[in-house]
Amino acid sequence: MPVPSSRPPRQVTGLRAEPAIARTELSWRSLGFEPLIDHYRVHAVRGAHGRFEPDGANLVGKTVYPQLTHHVDPRGETWTYRVVAVSDAGRSARPSGVLVASSVASVVGTGVPVATIGDFDARTLEHRFAPSGYAQIPAAYPDAVIEFEQGVDSPADAWPYLLPGPGDAWAGRKAYTARWRLTLPAAPAADHDVALWLVDTTRLGGTLRVAVNGAAPAEVALPPGGTRGSREGDATVPGTALVRSYHELPVPAGLLREGGNTIELVLADGGWVAWDAVGLFARR
Amino acid sequence: MPRTTPTFSRREVLRAGGLAAATLALGISAPETAGAASPSDGSFGLGVASGSPRPDSMVLWTRLTRDPLAPDGHGGMPLRSYGVHWEVATDPGLEHVVRRGHALAQPELAHSVHPKVTGLRPATEYFYRFRSGTTSSTVGRFRTLPAAPAVPDTFTVGVVSCQAWYHGHFTAHRHLAAERELDLVVFGGDYVYEYGITAANLWRQGVTVAPEHAAEVQTLEQYRLRYALTKSDPHLQALHARVPAVAIWDDHEVQNNYVGGRSAYGLPDEIFAHRVAVAYRAFYEHLPVDLEALPDGPGSDITTGFDVGHLARFSLLDTRQHRDPVPETAEEQAEPGRTMLGRAQERWVEDRLVDSPAVWNVVASGVVLMPVTEDRTDQWDGYPAARSRLLDAMARSSGVVVLSGDIHHAVAGELRADVADPGAGNVGVELVCTSVASDGDGAPTDGYAPDWLQHEYVRLYDGRRGYLTVTLTPQEMTSTFVCVPWVEADDSAPREVLARFVTPAGTSRLVEA
Repeated sequence: MPVPSSRPPRQVTGLRAEPAIARTELSWRSLGFEPLIDHYRVHAVRGAHGRFEPDGANLVGKTVYPQLTHHVDPRGETWTYRVVAVSDAGRSARPSGVLVASSVASVVGTGVPVATIGDFDARTLEHRFAPSGYAQIPAAYPDAVIEFEQGVDSPADAWPYLLPGPGDAWAGRKAYTARWRLTLPAAPAADHDVALWLVDTTRLGGTLRVAVNGAAPAEVALPPGGTRGSREGDATVPGTALVRSYHELPVPAGLLREGGNTIELVLADGGWVAWDAVGLFARR
Repeated sequence: MPRTTPTFSRREVLRAGGLAAATLALGISAPETAGAASPSDGSFGLGVASGSPRPDSMVLWTRLTRDPLAPDGHGGMPLRSYGVHWEVATDPGLEHVVRRGHALAQPELAHSVHPKVTGLRPATEYFYRFRSGTTSSTVGRFRTLPAAPAVPDTFTVGVVSCQAWYHGHFTAHRHLAAERELDLVVFGGDYVYEYGITAANLWRQGVTVAPEHAAEVQTLEQYRLRYALTKSDPHLQALHARVPAVAIWDDHEVQNNYVGGRSAYGLPDEIFAHRVAVAYRAFYEHLPVDLEALPDGPGSDITTGFDVGHLARFSLLDTRQHRDPVPETAEEQAEPGRTMLGRAQERWVEDRLVDSPAVWNVVASGVVLMPVTEDRTDQWDGYPAARSRLLDAMARSSGVVVLSGDIHHAVAGELRADVADPGAGNVGVELVCTSVASDGDGAPTDGYAPDWLQHEYVRLYDGRRGYLTVTLTPQEMTSTFVCVPWVEADDSAPREVLARFVTPAGTSRLVEA
């Protein structure tokens, strides 16, 4: 009796990309469960190409989901993508058609750093209590205010890796404030940008209020995160459950002044955010 | 000599869903000439197992591998099918073979086979092995269940849960496999863990793991690899070879704290379903379960029950797949319509409890049933109305014993008919099995102890690793909690009895022995 061979998966279709800061959000049509898809292999090469052959050297990720976030150089990049489905039997589909997509440049890549806390490296590890000592934060900051003075304090000593929020019972359900003081030698003549890079947040998402020198705060809507950044600090680990997010806001030149400046970050709604880094950048 | 012929109901074939019915059938039984490639191309590096015990049948399991930890999850096997012979005998030397057959190890199922041996005699000891080419597996042993209405003198069950391979050695399995009396092992959930294995959590000393284990498990190849890593442990293999196994799952077979198809980590349900589907498939591929447990995409039916004559009735629950979401408010938590089991499973277990002819009615739950604190919403504490309904059904039954795990602690408690009424009678007892390895060495007590010991119905609390044995007779149940003082350094820790309780038949009390 001949052994029936399961058919290979169908070709992936519907490949699309959503540009975002320092990354490209890829998605495609699910192939369902017949045959069961072991995983999708995402292949990519830098630049815009009409065609390329997927191989091990240009494999940028595997995922069981019909979507993948491709993290790229923060200066902004163009890549060409193809996706291959692999079945439970290890059979590969024909590669999808190609898709050319560009990410959005980040001020971290394009600007001139004026002041930063931490490294923009998708890790919380340089910050206080990282990667999992969150339980110490309420005792260390009983009034729910974190003070950081640029040039005096270091991330390891004065910037906890989590900023708790009202959704955090373990931190007293308070809206914590992180107050960042920095000194500028002169009032800037041009607009600047604030970059807030997060390694993760909770499934609650939330609202982060950003106020510069007491001006009316800007509100940053935080998407739901992976809820794992309280215990793990490295979002570059393959297959990580951490969900990075990137938020960049313009700061009009008129809001900054010579001498002391204060940038206040308040987690008004939702659960904690896990910092990758924050920075103030001048535009080139 | 009769051969096992596969028979499939129309429902079963339709349920085969994402797996061609022929593939399914050949993984259970196949003609010897079923077009397989050279059969000398694999070995049995992940051991053998038996399960789904019945008075007249048993499911056997093995998986062909060349390199069990090959990163692609296919065990180093070429992506072709291979024939596997099996035989069942009445003697350990397999000279008196009473059944033999042939199945096809196919890449669709990671070269696992699940032959179902039928036509066996009840309450009879058998021995089995597999052969592929010139390679033979280790010899496994099983005893069929007694048939109703027989009441056997004794039946002993081992209970284990929470096998985080990276947190420690499976010393508990070493001791359980060597227990003098043992008829069955119940795996109470978290057979594998999905977390990436890194320097931060690799507490099992004397081992190294390849870089592919560092990522959190999410693809089928990764789940297969994680099962292979777990099943590579020689003590777990010895336990499986010693007695039949039945298994329920909890959350870590898929993802921490997932709830009824919903991820706890922010993924949309329709996206998360892809991960559920591969995780359920890998569960089927690596356990000696019957055809009913073969998933159809992101759905599977692992709820099962069996009778040990009229001595005991076992009902194994799925407390993960059908539950309502985590409550966001106390009002939602208390809603009378909230379900842990889903309506169909709830009715099923109620019927089995109420209509049972057995002296003992054993219910296996992936999470703890007894009330502890209201914020333990992942346990039955998050589903108080559903718990009350189950306790009502237990009150209409007799000899109720709940086996659970999940919490990495050994706990014994009596189940009150009405948790709000201290004077209410008991409806059963609950025996919570500690972990085999999860959380490493542990300690006799810890910061969670007051939550449990505040209740007068809790008789034992201990935070070390180990297992549980439950010996049922027509007169009494003896539950023995065993701990091993360490698991991280090596597998040499001795067997220590933490506590032993006797429950006379017809009562729901735990009497320290």
